[in-house]
Amino acid sequence: MKKKMNYKTMALTTVLGAAILLSTACGSTSGSKGSTGKSSDIPTIGVIQYTTVPSLDNCYKGFIEGLESEGYKDGKNIKIDFQNSNAETATADTEAQTMAQKKYDMVAAIATPAAMSAYAACKADKIPVVFTAVSDPVSAKLVTSLDKSGTVCAGSSDKLPLEAQVEMIRRMLPDAKKIGILYTTSEPNSVTDLELIKKIAPKYDFKIVAQGVTNASEVVSGAESLVQKGVDCINNFTDNNVVNNLPSVLQSATKAKIPVFGSEEGQVYDGCLASVSIDYVALGKETGKIAGEILKGKIKPEESKIYVAKDGTPFINTDVAKELGISIPDEYKDATMVTTGSNK
Amino acid sequence: MDIFLNLLSVILREGFIYGIMAIGVYITYKVLDFPDLSVDGTFPLGGCASAALITLGVNPIIACVICFGAGALAGLVTGILHVKLKITDLLSGILVMTALYSVNMLVTSKKAVLSIFNMNTIFNTGLGKLLYDIFGQWGWVIMAAIVCIIVKILVDIYLSTKSGLLLRGAGSNSLFVTSLGRDPGNMKILGLMLGNGLTALSGAVLTQQKESADVSSGTGMVVMALAAVILGEALFGKVSFIRATTTAVLGMMIYRTGLTVAMQMGLDTIYLKALMSGLFIIALLVGRENKKRQNNSVLRSRL
Repeated sequence: MKKKMNYKTMALTTVLGAAILLSTACGSTSGSKGSTGKSSDIPTIGVIQYTTVPSLDNCYKGFIEGLESEGYKDGKNIKIDFQNSNAETATADTEAQTMAQKKYDMVAAIATPAAMSAYAACKADKIPVVFTAVSDPVSAKLVTSLDKSGTVCAGSSDKLPLEAQVEMIRRMLPDAKKIGILYTTSEPNSVTDLELIKKIAPKYDFKIVAQGVTNASEVVSGAESLVQKGVDCINNFTDNNVVNNLPSVLQSATKAKIPVFGSEEGQVYDGCLASVSIDYVALGKETGKIAGEILKGKIKPEESKIYVAKDGTPFINTDVAKELGISIPDEYKDATMVTTGSNK
Repeated sequence: MDIFLNLLSVILREGFIYGIMAIGVYITYKVLDFPDLSVDGTFPLGGCASAALITLGVNPIIACVICFGAGALAGLVTGILHVKLKITDLLSGILVMTALYSVNMLVTSKKAVLSIFNMNTIFNTGLGKLLYDIFGQWGWVIMAAIVCIIVKILVDIYLSTKSGLLLRGAGSNSLFVTSLGRDPGNMKILGLMLGNGLTALSGAVLTQQKESADVSSGTGMVVMALAAVILGEALFGKVSFIRATTTAVLGMMIYRTGLTVAMQMGLDTIYLKALMSGLFIIALLVGRENKKRQNNSVLRSRL
């Protein structure tokens, strides 16, 4: 019996020991995020980024810049606890709750699921939540309206400039009839964007052919199926899954000699023909400024107006245009001209 | 100290809520010896269905009951695939889990996330509201504990009924069940219904607590629940006065503690998965070692 008990104690120690060892090993690099939480008087901001994709990374980069422009520097007069939830809501929930329990002064959330976890965790304690990269904060019930938040949430929304994008497609492809859209059914932004583009398309005499996929492995067959349905071009949203698998989409499209339009400048550098896109660093920067103003007490989240990034900048890849024999319309002569891979 | 207590409240609350799923998985994995992967689909099913029902204005408690029913239906399908159509256990679970993705999208009317912020839930109406008014955030913990304990007691009672005994027989000694003139296959289906029903209920309660549902929230649930069941059994299985259903809940608490402690100490979240698998492996090894000792002592006593 005594032996058995030993075994159990040993098991318990091993399990907890492993947890602590692993965490201290990795924790040493991440600064002073110790279990004591707020150890000094400088404000602490928790940041939850839902997953790792270029647009969200840029948002975070901009967020830090925005805070700095308001005079807040990490490690100097504020402390930032950055967490990535690796595209898992359960992880985002735990992160958000931990931050709320540690009574952080503010939680910043990047992308819709992270914002929802943060809001759920913070609303009882009235901790301000600053979100960014949320396409439709009203339908996600994060705020009551874009003009006046009405909740502890403030922040920015990234409505894709879809109308400008469709207009660009019309001018670049005067004879095109069908726009193919590849999107992931579990990504809320994509579903909202699809509804929107379906409304815009008829104005420019286009028909939308949508193809939903559920995971990375279906992107190739989804793109092939769009090509088979005879679309004249493929248009991307800021769909994390599709953007991460952009090379497979480009391969299928290039084989059929149809252009792919992107949703961010990065995709144009990677081989999309063109995009009218939001500058995510700038969006993050605006969000950082809002966060700074809340910290200073200049604005109250409840009364804040949601910053909506609507105006896009056109980017055109001249390599791809030449290859597909597409001439650049006069209206877009001032667009930023790039070549494949020139950003690397 | 404050922070410690606050974090403890999160661990306990999540432990109780996910503990309901652990009890469900205990039934399928330990009682029936069935590695049921459909759990990854039934957990979000419960969440999405409960969010959809609450949006429609359904009473939150009734919503929980309906979600249990929905999960049980999914378990029924897994059971029929395995028992009647002779598809392997793992594959039946995977097939149902995959199909449930479509079902969940239908339930949320094609929305990936469905929020029910400030609508009626079991946590902000009736007893839940009363508890919250008195105890603050500990009210949520108590509410989660109440649901979890009711479920545990009901499952314990069921397992000691005649049908429950047959269910246990179906997993450990199906010949015995056959010899009693009962079909062990049907008992297996019943067990799967119960297990998946409880998983969906766990998803429903979690959704009502955090006031939003996500169709992709099921990822990793099987691993979490299995780890909790195995961890619980390895650590507390020998303590005679603790019932197996309780060890599953306790295992979930330990598991959540490990995760929260790791996050708290600043572990980069990319290492969480490795940590989860590590905890799982340790639990499995300890569990096996315990069993070996038990068998040895049985042998020795026979000699």
